[in-house]
Amino acid sequence: MTNNNLILHIPDEPPHDLHHQPTVSVFASSIDPKHANQIVRRLNQIAPLEDLRHVKRIQKKVLEGGQIQLSVILCLAYEGDNQLDHVPPLLQELISSYQLSPFITKVCKYAATSKEEWQEQCKFWPTSYHPRTYNIDGITGFSEEDSQSVLKFMQSAVELATSDGLVVNAAVIVDPSAKQIISTARDEVFSWNTCKDESCYRKSDLSSSHPISNSLDPQKLLHLRSSCNHLKQSYARVGCLYPWQWAEQQSHSESSYYCHPLRHAAIVSIESSAARDRHLFPNDESSKEKNLESDHESLSTSSSSKRQKTVCATVEGDDKLNAQSQTSNQIEDNDKLNTHSQTSNLLSARPYLCTGYDIYLVWEPCTMCAMALVHQRIRRIFYAFPNPKTGALGSVYRLQGEKSLNHHYAVFRVLLPEEALHKCDT
Amino acid sequence: MTSPNTLIFMELAIQQAKLALDALEVPVGCVIVEDGKVIASGRNRTTETRNATRHAEMEAIDVLLEQWQKNGLSMTEVAKKFSNCSLYVTCEPCIMCASALATLGIKDVFYGCSNDKFGGCGSILSLHLKDTASLNKGFKCAGGIMATEAIILLRTFYDQGNPNAPKPHRPLAHQATT
Repeated sequence: MTNNNLILHIPDEPPHDLHHQPTVSVFASSIDPKHANQIVRRLNQIAPLEDLRHVKRIQKKVLEGGQIQLSVILCLAYEGDNQLDHVPPLLQELISSYQLSPFITKVCKYAATSKEEWQEQCKFWPTSYHPRTYNIDGITGFSEEDSQSVLKFMQSAVELATSDGLVVNAAVIVDPSAKQIISTARDEVFSWNTCKDESCYRKSDLSSSHPISNSLDPQKLLHLRSSCNHLKQSYARVGCLYPWQWAEQQSHSESSYYCHPLRHAAIVSIESSAARDRHLFPNDESSKEKNLESDHESLSTSSSSKRQKTVCATVEGDDKLNAQSQTSNQIEDNDKLNTHSQTSNLLSARPYLCTGYDIYLVWEPCTMCAMALVHQRIRRIFYAFPNPKTGALGSVYRLQGEKSLNHHYAVFRVLLPEEALHKCDT
Repeated sequence: MTSPNTLIFMELAIQQAKLALDALEVPVGCVIVEDGKVIASGRNRTTETRNATRHAEMEAIDVLLEQWQKNGLSMTEVAKKFSNCSLYVTCEPCIMCASALATLGIKDVFYGCSNDKFGGCGSILSLHLKDTASLNKGFKCAGGIMATEAIILLRTFYDQGNPNAPKPHRPLAHQATT
């Protein structure tokens, strides 16, 4: 097995069993090819197939002897509705004027998400297939080099998760273009070492991120490995797996121990990357309030084309949107945006939030963390182990497929044996 | 029926949202109420912190957690406290905040306008509903309280343009009016 087989794309839609895709019943009728144009035009007026846009209206069959047979979909057929009683009058008229003989047939209910699905669908009735118009690196597969890099970063997340006796979730945010770690974090649900002083707070933020180093710090890995003996094999402390566990916690006498129920690894790593941003690019902050225009400009020129890939045209600093503002087009063609963004060819300076970055998580994130990663504009999420009860990226919910959200990341599972959590030898 | 107290607390949340607007943040604000008293407030700080998760709710929650820790409360006591708290927020909590509020076991949430794109209390997901499979106890939720006021604030913000959004790929409708 090569490395790239270990990375699975978790698609936007739950995959259907290829051979048992959901179908709906429709009334169809064979028609005289001479009338096809008129009939289809009329049907589109009086009986458009609103929810079946992926289904072709006409099926063409070549019979023996080269004769062509056309069939057309008339309308949906509802449960137990074998008669044409419920067909609207205008359609009834059409049927009688062309002397059609309707029959019931099945078409696939959902648009195909893969070529294989599409080929199966066409066995019922032809559909159209539109492969996604944008591609986030990896959806169509990883090169050997890229998958090695993915596995290496996942390995560092696993080591972080198991580095302190108790297994928790861990997060590593990476800039893949530079193969650079932006920030790392462990769950701090049960052991948040509070530090009220802002300067101290910042320092600790920065020490947990690696703004300069281009690769993993071997010293750190060494340190992680040495602490593996104390491993306990319980996952009860993994924030995203047991978000309600915190309330069971008995009080700790040590003052350094504290419980913050929401400090899951992803949240903490976002906080660290934000702190890093403020540290590395302090000027934008100071000029922001005085000079709107210049800030806008500095932001607009600082985004590399690469990092703009999945950002929609109307991105808000915060995602509390006016419910009434329906102006932004939700089905924006990302491809188009992409072409536009190619025009900005300046090298990256300051990214907008985590645009263009990847995050490695040992466990599939809960809804809180998954949505936080939408807000922070992460480009790709890699996780090793699913979260069957509260996972938001395929297990329970599938935020990567929520059309209404203003940002969509690509999600991958890195297949690791569970033993990876119990031994730290690399 | 909206009780007079509900309106008073929502008015305070709106005040918080106005503070956010003044600071060029997306204007959403909230207050947390225990036994009829406001014990914490918060407003968006996503721009200032460059951390898009710093929503009003998260800000207010952190105020409480810090304070209760200072007072030496155990986690079971903290959980009990939250189960007696109500949140008043000008916009329906997003999926992240709704999930956080459920994790904390807050008693109930009153919100202003709904959040058609990101809402976690019914609009997109329903994280306020009890779910035995995940042990989510959920929380009571009521929306539409002073929604018009909340919307006006958001509209004001977006009309003046969000200075923090990256360069738009298409011309802004309001570009000429700054």
